[in-house]
Amino acid sequence: MKWGMVIDLQKCTGCGECVAACKRENNVAIVEPKESAMGRTMLWMDMLTIYEGEYPRLRVRQIPRPCMHCDHPPCTKVCPVRATYINEEGIVAQIYPQCIGCRYCMAACPYTVKSFNWYKPEWTPGIRDTVNPDVSVRPVGVVEKCTFCVHRRQKAKELAKSEAREPRENDYQPACGEGCPTGAIVFGDLENPGHRVNHLARSPRATRLLEDLGAEPKVIYLKEVD
Amino acid sequence: MLPVSTQPHPDAPLLRPIERPARNFYLIVGILLAIILYTGFVYLRQILFGLGVTGMAQPVTWGFYIINFVFFIGISHAGTLISAILRLSKAEWRRPITRMAEVITAIVLAIGGLHPIIDLGRPDRMSHLFFNGRLQSPLLWDITSITAYFTASTVYLYIPLIPDIAILRDRGVKPRWLYEFLSWGWQGTERQHKVLDRAMNILMVIVIPIAVSVHTIISFIFSMTVQPGWHSTIFGPYFVVGAIFSGIAAILVLMIVFRKIFRLEGYLKHIHFNYLSILLLIMSLLWFYFTFSEYLTGYYGHEPNEMRVFWYKFTGDFAPYFWAMVSCNFFLPVLLLSNRKTRTIPGILIASLSVIIGMWLERLIIIVPSLANPRLPYPTGIYIPTHTEWMLFIGGISVFILGYMLFARFFPVISIWEIEEGRKESAKIVTERISSYMPDPEPTSAGE
Amino acid sequence: MNKKMIGVFQVVSISLIWVLFAGIAVWIVNLIKESVRLHDAPDASVAISIVAILVFLVLASVLTYVFIGLRKGRIEDKETETNPVSG
Repeated sequence: MKWGMVIDLQKCTGCGECVAACKRENNVAIVEPKESAMGRTMLWMDMLTIYEGEYPRLRVRQIPRPCMHCDHPPCTKVCPVRATYINEEGIVAQIYPQCIGCRYCMAACPYTVKSFNWYKPEWTPGIRDTVNPDVSVRPVGVVEKCTFCVHRRQKAKELAKSEAREPRENDYQPACGEGCPTGAIVFGDLENPGHRVNHLARSPRATRLLEDLGAEPKVIYLKEVD
Repeated sequence: MLPVSTQPHPDAPLLRPIERPARNFYLIVGILLAIILYTGFVYLRQILFGLGVTGMAQPVTWGFYIINFVFFIGISHAGTLISAILRLSKAEWRRPITRMAEVITAIVLAIGGLHPIIDLGRPDRMSHLFFNGRLQSPLLWDITSITAYFTASTVYLYIPLIPDIAILRDRGVKPRWLYEFLSWGWQGTERQHKVLDRAMNILMVIVIPIAVSVHTIISFIFSMTVQPGWHSTIFGPYFVVGAIFSGIAAILVLMIVFRKIFRLEGYLKHIHFNYLSILLLIMSLLWFYFTFSEYLTGYYGHEPNEMRVFWYKFTGDFAPYFWAMVSCNFFLPVLLLSNRKTRTIPGILIASLSVIIGMWLERLIIIVPSLANPRLPYPTGIYIPTHTEWMLFIGGISVFILGYMLFARFFPVISIWEIEEGRKESAKIVTERISSYMPDPEPTSAGE
Repeated sequence: MNKKMIGVFQVVSISLIWVLFAGIAVWIVNLIKESVRLHDAPDASVAISIVAILVFLVLASVLTYVFIGLRKGRIEDKETETNPVSG
């Protein structure tokens, strides 16, 4: 079982719903504007904006960027306390109580996907009521990142077990994929021929970011056709 | 034994700071303690609020703390390496220098070793490193090697200190119990000398690979990642050379300072400065060679991400720091030290201070530009250190000065017994050695 | 503080060095065991860690050697004249 994601850039409109859905689902902290201007915005799912060419031939590309959940993660290699590791299902996980906040994994990640809790995360009273009870809130001083909504994996597994059946493809979908209005983000088991990602990953348009680094990311992008 | 502290000693200038400390000693200690106390408050604030009080952010997640970590540990190569290498090569001019160098190492390693802890987001979870440490991580290798180096250099400082402690004990210097305790019953008998010599011989050999490994492993923290500007095989030797370079500069500055305030012109003579500053000159050329190789290979390969970091350093936002570094590390020292007319004490002081600043800049230039230019299209990172980080830097330097002053208050900064040994035996040893180099007479053949 | 007490403190301080060594050895062995269990550390790291334990052993031994050697090399006060203190 190897969880992976396919993002079809032809279908992606750059609306940013995946970014917002992820923040809501995972209780990702909202930082003050001053902090955000410094570069401390916490975005597990980020939207990369690439400008190509010049006016009038300007082209803007929007690329959603979650954690790549690499099969050879550069981040887990350098963690001194095993606060980040790759589990048997291919998810690169974070153990928040174990993290000592050395930020070595942040320095080592070539995709810059990790966020850090520079201050204690706080919620205004209104937002505090909407916090997702399934996801733990992180304390100050630890590293966090996209987990492919692994808490939903737990729920899907338990639901299937309680109904005495195999888990279905749509039982476990991360918040970003669920929220995407065009269906550009597809998630599933890369090794299961019954899941869509299995076919899409082998599309002739398939590519990965920074492929030559050998980290073997499991987020596959389908290139635009026009 | 009757207290003899009033009796004159041939090396009285070395004993004077201990037996009759200057009056402004306490004033300076007081000022340093105040600075360190304030630094403590600043750090407490960081623990209470989190690392947000620093200037670090994504993507520049490492800043002053890691820069200073590498910087302080780099200076530590002064002591043990120079002292060990000079002892091993039996250079007689080492005698007034070894003690000062060894003390630098011991103090600066302690300070440098604390810096990764200051950098942690959760220092309260430090025990995880001991109970759940991962041997795959270069940070763990670092902890092991720095602990080994700190232990080795402390032992290497202490063992040659024993005969000097015995001198202080015999002269009845207060506090008597301290010198009695630390002198381990030294009486200068022949058997004791043999034990000491053997121990020092073993130590000076094993301390060298430990010292080399320490800075190599620190360089591995960077070179073991795949980031542009970091993933370079030259980092190991580059860091070691840089460390020895900054270490020699530190020794020179300290020698000049102590020569002035303790009036040691008789012991730290021009020839000592001459030799050490020539070593500094050589290290400056070596440093330039490594830097040149590093950037030439990056430029020639022209890999796009490497080039972004390259131009950021050469002509971009970091250009002022980069060119300041090259001037401080290469142009100024070479200019001042290659000419005998400028290789004077003031000239050497300027060159050494310039090198220390330049080497700090080098650590800045290695760490921040690679982080500020991530591979994926993000805006270039900006790092502006805050009051917290500056204070911890100043606090670190203050701890160093305070530690050194405390050492110099209780122990001689120049090894008295080695100077005495030099007076008595150097000429004989060196004459014997040189005559062994001379060609032997042709064997008058008995059976030809 | 009389000489005997100081002697006792000296012996205690030397024993502390061995306690430190034991602690470090236990810690490094722990690291190695965890590495073997998770099987993801390069073998070179494991080898070098074993060398690190040996380094600490050598340092503790040298210190103890000097301590015992200096004790043994002493000439007690009641015996004949001590050699002049060198240096």
